[in-house]
Amino acid sequence: MLPVIAWNLISLEILITLTLVSLVILDILLPKGTKNDWLGFASFTALLGLIVFWTTQQSVTGITFSGMFVSDSLSWFFKGFFLITMIFIFVMTQQFFKFLGERRNEFYLLLWLSLLGMCLIASSADFLLLFISIEILTISLYVMTAYLRSDKLSIEAGMKYLILGALSSGFFLYGISFLYGITHSTRFAAIQMFTATHSISPLMLFAMVLIFAAVGFKIVAVPFHMWVPDVYQGAPTPVTALLSVGSKAAGFIILIRLFFGIFGPWHAEWSILLAVLSAITMCYGNLVAMFQTNIKRLLGYSSISHAGYLLMGAAAGSMIGASAMNFYLLGYLFTNLAAFLVIILFSIAVKSDDIADYAGLARRSGILAGTLLIALISLAGLPPLAGFFGKFALLMAIIESGFIWLALIAGINIVISLYYYLMIVKKIYVDTPNSTSLIAVSLPMRLILILSMLAIIGIGICQGPFLDAAIASVKGMYLLHF
Amino acid sequence: MILNLSLFLLLPLVGMATIFMIPAEKSALIRKIACLTVFVVSLLSVWFFSAYNSAVGGYQFIQNIPWVVPFNISYHLGIDGISSMLILLLGITSFAAVLISGGIKERVKEYYIMFLIAVAGTYGAFLSLDIFFFYFFHEIAAIPIFLMIGIWGTGRKEYAAMKLTLYLVAGAALALIGLICLYFATGLQTFDLVQIQSHLANHPIPTEIQNWIFPLIVVGFGITLTLWPFHTWAPVGYAEAPTAVSMLHAGVLKKMGAYAIIRFAIQLMPEAAHTWMPIIAVLAVVNIVFCGLVALTQRDLKYILAYSSCSHMGYILLGLACFNIIGLNGVVYLMFAHGIMATLAFALVGFIADQTKTRNIDELGGLVKIMPFVGTCFIMAALASAGVPGFANFVAEIMVLLGAWDQYPIQTVLAILGIVITAIYMLKAIRIGFQGPLPKRWEKLTDAETLTAKLPFVFLLAVLIVVGCWPSLLLNHIGSSTKPIIENIVSKN
Repeated sequence: MLPVIAWNLISLEILITLTLVSLVILDILLPKGTKNDWLGFASFTALLGLIVFWTTQQSVTGITFSGMFVSDSLSWFFKGFFLITMIFIFVMTQQFFKFLGERRNEFYLLLWLSLLGMCLIASSADFLLLFISIEILTISLYVMTAYLRSDKLSIEAGMKYLILGALSSGFFLYGISFLYGITHSTRFAAIQMFTATHSISPLMLFAMVLIFAAVGFKIVAVPFHMWVPDVYQGAPTPVTALLSVGSKAAGFIILIRLFFGIFGPWHAEWSILLAVLSAITMCYGNLVAMFQTNIKRLLGYSSISHAGYLLMGAAAGSMIGASAMNFYLLGYLFTNLAAFLVIILFSIAVKSDDIADYAGLARRSGILAGTLLIALISLAGLPPLAGFFGKFALLMAIIESGFIWLALIAGINIVISLYYYLMIVKKIYVDTPNSTSLIAVSLPMRLILILSMLAIIGIGICQGPFLDAAIASVKGMYLLHF
Repeated sequence: MILNLSLFLLLPLVGMATIFMIPAEKSALIRKIACLTVFVVSLLSVWFFSAYNSAVGGYQFIQNIPWVVPFNISYHLGIDGISSMLILLLGITSFAAVLISGGIKERVKEYYIMFLIAVAGTYGAFLSLDIFFFYFFHEIAAIPIFLMIGIWGTGRKEYAAMKLTLYLVAGAALALIGLICLYFATGLQTFDLVQIQSHLANHPIPTEIQNWIFPLIVVGFGITLTLWPFHTWAPVGYAEAPTAVSMLHAGVLKKMGAYAIIRFAIQLMPEAAHTWMPIIAVLAVVNIVFCGLVALTQRDLKYILAYSSCSHMGYILLGLACFNIIGLNGVVYLMFAHGIMATLAFALVGFIADQTKTRNIDELGGLVKIMPFVGTCFIMAALASAGVPGFANFVAEIMVLLGAWDQYPIQTVLAILGIVITAIYMLKAIRIGFQGPLPKRWEKLTDAETLTAKLPFVFLLAVLIVVGCWPSLLLNHIGSSTKPIIENIVSKN
């Protein structure tokens, strides 16, 4: 007898797949040489529809496909996260690829594919499904990274990402095979039963480290960060934005599911490991970021350091820790995407990503400078912005768990990161511009920039509802274990 | 009641929003709106100062709204004797600072928006009875100050802005870790100061835990208060900042450090205070003497004032270490007196430097002849700084010294030596810069002639003299709040 499948649990994924298929058909049916960006328009509308649908799905929870697929509060939270991320990415793509013409259409399809991959990652409750979901996401990212085929840097970035990505997939599979050998299962529920009743063995630790290597690749933790600077710099900027927010958040869901779920019973063994990794990651990211001259590369290293901050929440291994991570990611979404949107609009106008060319931006475009200022200060973590409360909550978590030394290291890192963010702020606001020509920003773009600024400030001032949402997402998590 | 403490935050916000809507070209209108906003808020601070009932004491005008429930953070505003005095100080200083900002002709819109953010944030910090919101508001000023120094400063302004901001944020981060430790150490898991205070009365934090949280908070906020050896951001920061920022920062913003030390460290962790404050008292004397001696060697008027400001913070730190009422009253009094004096002195130097384009006393000379009004005001400010009776600083310093004498006789003697040093460098600056023959190149200088130009100086000087001659004006307020703090400390010895 076939197992009963609760189709309503995976309705969002089904809808995404249907949209993808209909967009493929639309792409085929569209006459050659169409000037209008029909696919972009259709994607955007479909995405808005999906967000409306998503809001109705909060109470739809359960497990299906014999325990392979789970729909819980955590997956709901992150699916919303990915949908909002995608709105930004579609807007960026629409702006960034104006010159690509029809080739842009395939890019939209790849974006939808990556969205499907991310949503499936959020819902995986089995290592095999998780592996397949990660591959769906990563393979579409490989293609998108190398999408500018006449640009050497883009090709190089795609190649690097592919090689290191394949390596990390290999690690992941190797880890799963050990795990299966020890526990006789790939289901999360079965593995947690094992971890709850057994103490950690060296072989198990080896498997965990291998699996963490793959997760570390996604969240860009040191020492799995090697690909970041070149890929961030070389990839088309919308892809960089997707890597820095969507792909990173996908990694963090896996981290939460693993360390707050199936490996939860062994918290004492791995928390110190994660704490050390967190300290190394944030120090490395911030120290190297200080010397960057390309803004995408700088945000690449800054993205490494933020992975370090976020790992503090995992090391804390507590309710506050997990909720703080989710809150931080929420603030990071708007902050980082606002920064990348500014970078795209700036690079379209000025054809440069060099920090030196940002000199005097405040006098050339008030809105671009203002948004970048708010985004950078939020990344640095000063009030009243979203990044501040995120860091504050992470510090609370880590201090509650007794890692005062890590809190002090994080404090030092906040100062270091403030230095390089302020160097850019200084460039924008203090230095004299290289050129006095104004940079025009279209009305829809202005609107999006203002909305993201309001989101950053809003999350920073009215922290309550967002923190509640982050806590709720953890509380209702499948297999939660502290 | 219609008047409540949230107005201190809402009014600047309204002013800011209005300025935001106005096109940047209408700079005169923008300035008017900014001045009006600051003026109304300053009136409000005077009103609240006089409405605070010092006979009753405690926190008054309380507003309490739960804000982040999972962490027990609440939007909890209220004032006691100390903070009512500090918002009065901020009211006076910010009003003077906005009046003398007329010299800003470039990017006026941005300037006043930053100014209002910094002022609103500082009000928020003094009004908060929630530790989280204190920190939140106290950090808000960081970026506006960075940009104001960077854009409208002079000389090595970028270096100055960066150094000041990084030092202050580093201190704040250290203090934040201490404050979060405090949150967990009380066992109450709340940031509400009032609740923590009443809880600690019966369940003090274990002394060994206090002993390592205390230095985090005191050193962290001590950096804001230019505690030696973490004072080096202040001279260059104040010297290169635009006049209004020097006034605000030296006058009020750095006092947030002293305020936080009183509120969170000494008040909540009295046992640790007994262990650590004697060490701070030694550093305080280094502050007084070392920074005073460095001020002696300076030739730049603003550097002299900035080092003098660092040196005077030593008296505040020394007073904090005494644990008696007269000493703590002196500290709070000095926060006010030094705030007004520093504001006045920086305003006057700013006025002079705007015309001469130099602040080097060797290049100046004989200024009293050409600008008798401004010159006289500067001499009076310098005398106030040196602790001449009649000015508020004298009252404050004598209280601190009396308070310190019993426990720290050596430190007190050195602190008195510090007063002599202050007198030497101030009189030296006056003799070289303001007296003697007037160089030919300065014959074209003009004095403050119109009433609006004179107003801020006269106003500040009047406050300095009135408060100096009539101490009970402030002391009733101060005493009502320092008494319970000292009783608490003494009982824990």
